Amino acid sequence: MTWESVLEFARGPFFYAALLIFVAGMVYRLVNVIGLGWNRDRVPVKGSKTSGVVMSFLKGILIWPFIPWVKNTFSRNPLIYVGGGLFHLGLFAVIFLGTPHMLVWKSLLGFGWPTLATPIVDWLAAVAIIAMLILLVHRIVNPVVKLISGPAEYVAWLLVFLPMLTGYMMTHHLWFQYDVLFSLHMLTVDVLLIWVPFSRISHFIFYFFARTIHGQEFGKRGVAV
Amino acid sequence: MTATKQAMDAFVHETGGWVASQLEACTRCGMCAEACHFYQSSGNPEYAPVWKLELLRRAYEQRFTIFGGIKAAIGLDKRVTDDDLKHWSELNYYACTVCNKCSMVCPMGIDLGSLLHGVRAGLSAAELVPADLMAAVNKQVDEGSPLGMTSAVWDQRLEWVADEWEVEIPRDVKGADTLVVFSSIEVMKFPTNVAAIAKVLNKAGEKWTVSSKAREVVNFGFYEGSEEHTKLFINRILEGAKELGVKRIIVTECGHAYDALRWHAANWIPEANDFEVIHITGVLGELIGAGRIKIKPGFFDQNGNGTITFHDACKIQRKGGHIQEPRDILNVLAPKSFKEMTPNREESVCCGGGGGVIAIKAADAIRYKAFELKIDQVNKVGAKTVAMTCSNCRLQFTDSVEHFKLDWKVTGLAQMVADALVE
Repeated sequence: MTWESVLEFARGPFFYAALLIFVAGMVYRLVNVIGLGWNRDRVPVKGSKTSGVVMSFLKGILIWPFIPWVKNTFSRNPLIYVGGGLFHLGLFAVIFLGTPHMLVWKSLLGFGWPTLATPIVDWLAAVAIIAMLILLVHRIVNPVVKLISGPAEYVAWLLVFLPMLTGYMMTHHLWFQYDVLFSLHMLTVDVLLIWVPFSRISHFIFYFFARTIHGQEFGKRGVAV
Repeated sequence: MTATKQAMDAFVHETGGWVASQLEACTRCGMCAEACHFYQSSGNPEYAPVWKLELLRRAYEQRFTIFGGIKAAIGLDKRVTDDDLKHWSELNYYACTVCNKCSMVCPMGIDLGSLLHGVRAGLSAAELVPADLMAAVNKQVDEGSPLGMTSAVWDQRLEWVADEWEVEIPRDVKGADTLVVFSSIEVMKFPTNVAAIAKVLNKAGEKWTVSSKAREVVNFGFYEGSEEHTKLFINRILEGAKELGVKRIIVTECGHAYDALRWHAANWIPEANDFEVIHITGVLGELIGAGRIKIKPGFFDQNGNGTITFHDACKIQRKGGHIQEPRDILNVLAPKSFKEMTPNREESVCCGGGGGVIAIKAADAIRYKAFELKIDQVNKVGAKTVAMTCSNCRLQFTDSVEHFKLDWKVTGLAQMVADALVE
């Protein structure tokens, strides 16, 4: 078996199988949650649920993740807040605005979009990797996060970290042959895709539920989110 | 394991898509701990809101998700035991006021307060509510009030208030517009509040009444987390309101009672929507805004109160929405001496006495420790007077002021307004 054939497998059948499991798994998770039923809220509204939801997303996506001091709660511990924000920023920039990844999307969806210049994506990727390392240390050291972390949390961390690391090494031709790194990158991506529906990485979907609920709850009371 | 079974069944009952989607959104980042006054004051990681939720999470994952079921079967996730329930009963009733500040900092926006209330529902089904709190609930079931404000006591106290402060308190007036339901904390411990509210409403020419049926606005069933008891106590108020044919119900300076009646009752009892429920803070804002009462500008700048600050109650400001009215009023009453603490408004730090915590003797040390955060806040603005709109906060303040031997004056907003009324 050559690396060439491994790569062929990892970006071919294995990738599509992983993608299928990912999509099917996430659909199952969604159906499972939605199927539990939702009660109608009969409480008369004081403010506006709609504006609450809009503000909830605007603030949640654009402001809070990067500016901890808007919430002076984090004056004691800004690192975790900025770390989480930068990790997600880097991750999304790489996945959606890196040229090689956009081409993957294009092959799947049939259309593409403009991307960021490689050096920018590259820096953001490095930032995301460093942020992940800091968050790992935080998870081990901070008494609260340590308490609430089980094996699943560390497995999830590792499975997200490996594709990022191999991807970064691959674009910089570090230590190993390109074929080897590309194969490892694809294999780790495939494993990650399969793991997502079974783990808390799936929060990227439920985020939208929670933020909507948050906006509704605060909006209906006329309180700033 | 009957306790466990009862708790798990209650958790399952509590869990619809609304709860499940939020449990699924949690990434276990632990940021909620940064918001919790009990964690911040003690450093005990078990007080992290996410950890207080742990049992609800386990119940959900193990009952409703395939992977969670498998994890529990092979021992990767712990099953809930009776001992766990006892332990979490202390975490949730001793060290949580359900103030929902954690929801403000959660990057996912999870409404942790509501979920924590769900945990209480399970603990109450398992009959693991701390004895002091449960005794108060039972007292409210039997006597109509956790503070022993029976019909006769209520009668006598209101008579005395009316006499002492020379204020008229209309009773059981059929056809009145507004039913005012006081809390027993006010009637028994802060009677000046009762007199103040009566004075303000009379001055405004409001057609109001109290009801001998709906005597008590406090709802210890809501603290307990028992839907059955919460509904029972809400129904007593609604019956009184229905009997007198009022249009709206004013909740006086009591936080959780307002939360229960205004933001939850209609989802349990549809008839609750026959009445407009409003907090006295909103009424004060309304009456002053419409010019129905006038207050003396700067009244509290001159009476040796020193710097005045305002404490935001979790259930009236953050969860109730009456954030601006107190500021508008204080800016008239004390434009020079009113100063804000930080953080304030919806981000305010809880007093530590809500959620039934103050009713639990065993939680005293935890409660006083949490109050130290408040002492810091108040001292930073150099305030000598702290105003608030919640009698439960006020109880925590007056008790802690004594405990820590502070020289603050603790007062209620309604009382300040009444004192500064233009006659």
